[in-house]
Amino acid sequence: MPLGQPSSAVYIQNVPAGSHSSQPRTPTLVTLHPVALFSILDHYLRRMETQERVIGTLLGVRNDSGEVEVRSSYAVVHKETAELVAVDMEYHRTMYELHHRVHPREVIIGWYSTGSNLDTYSALIQNFYTQETGQHPAIHIALNTGVEEGQQPGVKAYVSSPVGVHPKPENCVFVPVPCEFRFHDAERSGLDLLTSESSSPLSDLETLAESLKTVSSMLDRVLGYVRSVLSGEVKGDPAVGRYLMDTFGADTGELEKGGFRDSLQDTLMVSYLAELVRSQAEVSSRLALVTAS
Amino acid sequence: MAEALAASLPVQQAAPAPAAPTYEAIPASMARVVDIEAEIPVESVQLDGLVVTKIIKHSREAPSSSAHGLLLGLDLDGVLEVSNSFPLPHHAGDEDDKSTKSAARYQAQMLRSLKEVQSDDSVVGFYQASTMGAFFSQALIDTQAIHQDKLRHGGIVVVHDITQTARGNASFHAFRLTKAFLDAFKKNNFSAPSLIDHRLTFSTILEEIPVKIRTNVLLNSFLNTLTTPTQSHLPDASPAVASTSSLPPSFSPLNLGATGVIRNLEQVNDALDAYRTEEGNLAYLQRQIAREKARADAYTAKRKEDNAARVAQGLAPLPEEDVSRLFRIPPEPSRLESMLLLGQMDAYGKSLAGITSAGLVKMYAAKASSDI
Repeated sequence: MPLGQPSSAVYIQNVPAGSHSSQPRTPTLVTLHPVALFSILDHYLRRMETQERVIGTLLGVRNDSGEVEVRSSYAVVHKETAELVAVDMEYHRTMYELHHRVHPREVIIGWYSTGSNLDTYSALIQNFYTQETGQHPAIHIALNTGVEEGQQPGVKAYVSSPVGVHPKPENCVFVPVPCEFRFHDAERSGLDLLTSESSSPLSDLETLAESLKTVSSMLDRVLGYVRSVLSGEVKGDPAVGRYLMDTFGADTGELEKGGFRDSLQDTLMVSYLAELVRSQAEVSSRLALVTAS
Repeated sequence: MAEALAASLPVQQAAPAPAAPTYEAIPASMARVVDIEAEIPVESVQLDGLVVTKIIKHSREAPSSSAHGLLLGLDLDGVLEVSNSFPLPHHAGDEDDKSTKSAARYQAQMLRSLKEVQSDDSVVGFYQASTMGAFFSQALIDTQAIHQDKLRHGGIVVVHDITQTARGNASFHAFRLTKAFLDAFKKNNFSAPSLIDHRLTFSTILEEIPVKIRTNVLLNSFLNTLTTPTQSHLPDASPAVASTSSLPPSFSPLNLGATGVIRNLEQVNDALDAYRTEEGNLAYLQRQIAREKARADAYTAKRKEDNAARVAQGLAPLPEEDVSRLFRIPPEPSRLESMLLLGQMDAYGKSLAGITSAGLVKMYAAKASSDI
């Protein structure tokens, strides 16, 4: 799942020939968790008037295959003027220690900034974070909030590599790395809640009704397409036809072979039991008030 | 209209800079909602999108259902706006002095750090993860009772149900303790007569406050970008990759398999067992009280009889001794634990009923579609 507009960047992998196992791999993919993304956006909203961009630390997990999972992020105080850039390192350390107590598995993997221009200061901050991440390369995530005119919102990830005959901290090349939005399936419904129009959490049945409505409208759309193909208005697409056949030919054999009745009985039984337990609990709690009087 | 306007106005987050305390005049439309003494009661809770994802992430990652943390925000005109949250470290059961102190230090440090980056830093309550809807626990009640004294508006607790969220419906409920329960809690008296006085059952321990979800404008626009499908640049891409989106629509609520029913039934069973044990304890204590009382009564009756006989014989009556010192009648047992267990049982039953009712609808829907 890509984040933002697709870019035409070619992702170059800088794997040295005969790479040693001791050398950590260059990240091949950066995944971003919603919490990290939303924290960055929140930080951007709360910036000072004088701040053009905000920066912060990214925390997450690396795995062996070169994937870097950004799980969370926190804001870091920093100051930029024409002459200097200052990052509150003490603040960064304190926050990391605090965070580490709750999520011991998440380590520093890089930093974020808003806006998409990479300048000398970016290189300097990148240099600082490279020291923080130890032997692993630091990741830089540039998040464009899209509030400035003519800019598309999106997220880009980079690793850095030194440039020049005599590498200096203020010079580096930011090499793009593919970046994806990723979360656990169980967290999906939380995002649905945020994207849905209703402003309060729904009950189970209401969510089901919403889903069924969506399916129904999709069926209508498909039906419309099929009718127009049949009447010859639109030329049929064989690929679409094949997908439709696969979808509607789904096997429901088990349901028909008595499975339905069995499941129905089970479900009804459980439902009855649940209601029974609830009413007993209610009666019992009221009896506790009566018996002693 | 003024109300809507007031609600949409950004809350004054940071205190005026200490260097130049310039206090602006409070606009007339806002004057009504200025509420220094916390007199406007909280009528609803508004969760920010960031808080929703943070709670879900923490709840899923924490071992068992022990995830809890603090909610930060402000209240404005009856709406408690929760704008941020942070998790609290999981302490392994033992409530010794050292761990309590380090937890307090962690909290203070976190709040100070958040303030430095212009985040809200006033605690308005806490959140608690739960499974299968059962969140009644002694710890939750205790924490909330402590908050009730310390926090403005008494604080709220937001309960998040992991199981229901995994089934495809993110569930958030906000509660606060009722006055009757607090009263009983302060007196630390949960004996049967006290329960009757306060009319307490498990359903009147907590009162629910409606929850609203808010996504700020920036987040909303970003989410829109994520849900908008992007077309592939390649001319002959297969339909699966031609149009991709970061957040494709999900149909997990339509999943037919009723997962978790067995686990839920087990939980109901366990809760029933626990309740039975607790009832047994209570009954034992009751019997003991009754026995001691009977012995005390018998003693006084005998003393009275003796005295009557002595008076009849013209002797001086024996002094009436204090019976309570001779026989130690145990205090009325606390029924809080059994009440909480009943509440838990009810919650399990409720979530079970929820699963089955949705399951029935899904089954008939699937049957209808297979009949075509």
